Amino acid sequence: MTGVDGGRATGDDDRATEDGGRADRLTRLREGVESHALTALALLTSAALVVAFYYPTATVLVEAVVVDGAVTLRVFADVLTDPFYFGELARLLSGESPAAVARSLLSPDRRLGIVGFTAYQAALSTVASVALGLPAAYLLARFEFPGRRTLRSLTIVPFVLPSIMVAVGFVATFGENGTLNAALTALGLPPVDLLFTLEAVVIAHAFYNAPLVARVTTAAWESVDASAVETARSLGAGPVRAFVDVVAPQVYPAVLTGAALTFVFTFGTFPIVLALGGFELATVEVFVYRLVRDLSYAEAAALAIVELVISLSVLLAYLRYEARSSTNTRGARPLPRRSLIPPAPTLRELLPRAGLAAYVAVAGVIFVAPIASMILASVTGGDGALTLDHYRFLIERQQTGAAFQVRPWPAIRNSLAFAAAATLLALPMGVVVAVLTTRRYRGRTLVDAAAMAPLAVSGIIVGLGLLRGLVFGVEVAGWRIAANGAVAIVVAHAVSGYPFVVRTVSPGLSGLDRSLVESARALGASRARVIRDVELPLVWPAVVAGAAFAFAISIGEFTSTVVLATGADAYTMPVAIERFIGRRLGPATAMGVVLLVVTGLSFVVIERLGGDHRGL
Amino acid sequence: MTTVGSERGTEVAGDVPVTVELDGVTKRYGETAAVDDVSLRVREGEFFTLVGPSGCGKTTTLRLIAGFEEPTRGTVRFGGESMAGVPPEDRDVGVVFQSYALFPHMTVGENVAYGLNFAEPPGGMTRDERVAELLELVDLPDAADREPESLSGGQQQRIAMARALAPGPDVLLLDEPMSALDARLRERLRAQVKEIQSELGITTIYVTHDQEEALAVSDRVAVMNDGTPEQVAAPRTVYREPATRFVAAFVGDNNVFAGEVIDAPAAGELAVDVDGGDATLRVGVGDGRDVDSPSVGDRISFCVRPENLRVAGADGNSGDDAAPAGENALSATVASAEFLGETTRVTLDWENRDLVVRVVDPIDGAVAVGFDPEDAHVIEVKNR
Repeated sequence: MTGVDGGRATGDDDRATEDGGRADRLTRLREGVESHALTALALLTSAALVVAFYYPTATVLVEAVVVDGAVTLRVFADVLTDPFYFGELARLLSGESPAAVARSLLSPDRRLGIVGFTAYQAALSTVASVALGLPAAYLLARFEFPGRRTLRSLTIVPFVLPSIMVAVGFVATFGENGTLNAALTALGLPPVDLLFTLEAVVIAHAFYNAPLVARVTTAAWESVDASAVETARSLGAGPVRAFVDVVAPQVYPAVLTGAALTFVFTFGTFPIVLALGGFELATVEVFVYRLVRDLSYAEAAALAIVELVISLSVLLAYLRYEARSSTNTRGARPLPRRSLIPPAPTLRELLPRAGLAAYVAVAGVIFVAPIASMILASVTGGDGALTLDHYRFLIERQQTGAAFQVRPWPAIRNSLAFAAAATLLALPMGVVVAVLTTRRYRGRTLVDAAAMAPLAVSGIIVGLGLLRGLVFGVEVAGWRIAANGAVAIVVAHAVSGYPFVVRTVSPGLSGLDRSLVESARALGASRARVIRDVELPLVWPAVVAGAAFAFAISIGEFTSTVVLATGADAYTMPVAIERFIGRRLGPATAMGVVLLVVTGLSFVVIERLGGDHRGL
Repeated sequence: MTTVGSERGTEVAGDVPVTVELDGVTKRYGETAAVDDVSLRVREGEFFTLVGPSGCGKTTTLRLIAGFEEPTRGTVRFGGESMAGVPPEDRDVGVVFQSYALFPHMTVGENVAYGLNFAEPPGGMTRDERVAELLELVDLPDAADREPESLSGGQQQRIAMARALAPGPDVLLLDEPMSALDARLRERLRAQVKEIQSELGITTIYVTHDQEEALAVSDRVAVMNDGTPEQVAAPRTVYREPATRFVAAFVGDNNVFAGEVIDAPAAGELAVDVDGGDATLRVGVGDGRDVDSPSVGDRISFCVRPENLRVAGADGNSGDDAAPAGENALSATVASAEFLGETTRVTLDWENRDLVVRVVDPIDGAVAVGFDPEDAHVIEVKNR
């Protein structure tokens, strides 16, 4: 170390040779670019989010408070005090005495209003999802059986299945001529009509979200250190007491995570309610859609803001909780798994296994029946005989369909192209946000929430904003910027998919030993270089999982697509299904099977490309 | 170029260039100061150790030097130049962590070569030659193609060392590098680290909570407490002439007394009325280099190492070889004993206070214990 040249103590003076001056400058230039790469990427991602999400969304939401060029809270006040939206609570907001409102709320003929009903069905769906998810977590975390790993990876499937396809499956199962009624008739029981009931909606939501609850809970359960339980046992706690005192407190945050996410997802539910509930069971999102269709933009925007505030508060509360209670139990010795075959025929061994058997039967109906029924319905004719008529219809439509009609091949092609493009956009955005949110600084929760906001904002509003902002074009400094519907759909899909990339990648990043990063930096690597050389390679499985997520979200996305796919050229498979379902179930189920096959194949391809994936 | 002046408690002073200098460095996290106004100078080629209990700020100090943290106040200088705002990758430091932090997705050879992506290997060597040289240096010449996970803890630590040294850094920073290893391995490895360090002559800053380790390997030691070094000196000085009561108690076993000087019976000797015990002890102030000379009426604290306390049975016949000096004889009883192999560490109860002694033969019951006045070391003097 000489340090006499007045330069920084980089040791360059040791390495520099007589003719190395230019190479040195180039190196410095490259290092300069590298050291600012992270900032540049962060700015780029923020810009992309502003263009693709915040600006378009804001242009719509602002209509709630700007009427005829003047700022007013009138639309808001109208929505908040309208019993149609807020039920009895609206009377409270319009100044009636709380006692009278409380009395009405307790009476049996209380009115919940649209918002109240949406929260009610979301709460019911959350309870159902937790109830259906916890036994699965117990099975997956505590028992060893052939196929356990496969089953565990399969728990991700319902969550990424296109919602419109699930809806078709539920219609095929619970509809008037569905498999449930066929089974009941065969048993000599009276048929039931569950379609367009709250029960059907709640069960469909549970189908969707219970696996999510099971997944996060299993992960937490598996990270419980066996020695903690053993310590409790040695101190005198029985098995039940040890569970309550040691295991439950560590598993409970994960259950809360699953419940919070379930609530947010089901609060903003759209395709399932549209297909299974109709306007009689309209949720906020369905009503926003209806208002948009009726061109009542101001009221739609006001309602969407109400929805956003509720979802975002739940999400923010959850993020704060998560930040507070996250503990790293990496490297703990997990609890040993038990065999599914009882080691002794005692009550204590038999009872939990019998419970699990009953659960598996119920879960089988709920998870397998809709898919099986859809496949069955796609090959069943009106007379009940096996037929390929519905697939023939798709082929005929492809060959002879009029230009304005929905044809299958463009739908498949569009879905795949949009999904590939959306994944390519969502992946870098998600990774950058994950890197930014796993570092510690003041206001990180806020950044996290801002980046996660697309999860909570109405897809209808995002679609509408993109439609008016991107498709119809905006003027920026005299330049007219406009994109076609396809680009707008890709952007919308990337925005709704990237939070899932963040959610899969950031746990991996935050779990990395900090000294790995610091070692690389001390060895001379810039911050951006460390991400490339050390962090990303180590969380690669999570990145691949994130890509699969983004791809699947795009393939199944319906809400904003249906708003943006106005032209005849930009519809996707889910939109095609929705257009078919309006007329006849058969072609819709056939299209659903095509979607299932395409989604399944894509998953296999992504998995082959990237190796095994874990994560959320 | 900065040079080291004489510091308090430093035996060697001279015109050796300073590599790393901390000038009034403070690091605050919210209200608490993890590092509080620290000024240190580490000389070129020196093996310098930061030692102290957990939470004393030693690791934060190391992280400030490495550039992982920026000081709230004060300056870190390398070779006289301020490092403010210079990121770790531009500081030419090699860092070895307690967790080894080997990149699990790279082979051992790739790990060692990683720093050579950003710096030319010293001495005009190729990358491969440099990697081979370092693997040779850490005694694992055939490990290049192995996965880090296939190595034992001690082997991983040596690879981490090789990786840190590969780009030829100016300063080697070691953060508790042995703490995850078992005692015997730790001893062997620390000898190896010391050997490599003196072979390369690289300035090394070593962080440990283990005072024995610190004494064994260092040229100089900074004993830290509550975010500040209480003494910076050679190991021998820190052990024999602790500057504060904390250092006296932290480094090795010690018996610390406090009391009031009531008389100065002879030149270089004081009579001290010890607190909490009905005894007057004679304390030598012969070394006198590190404290102001106390006078009658001052309050002082002093310490006597266990190996300097001599024990005899109460009857004066059994126990250790030499009988306690008559002047400083205390009557105590054996409270507990730990058999350490070579010696036995015995805790004595003297007037409800603990005294620690080391003996070869077992003792029990009531004993007499004493020390030579010149074996006592005065730590602090509070003038009346």
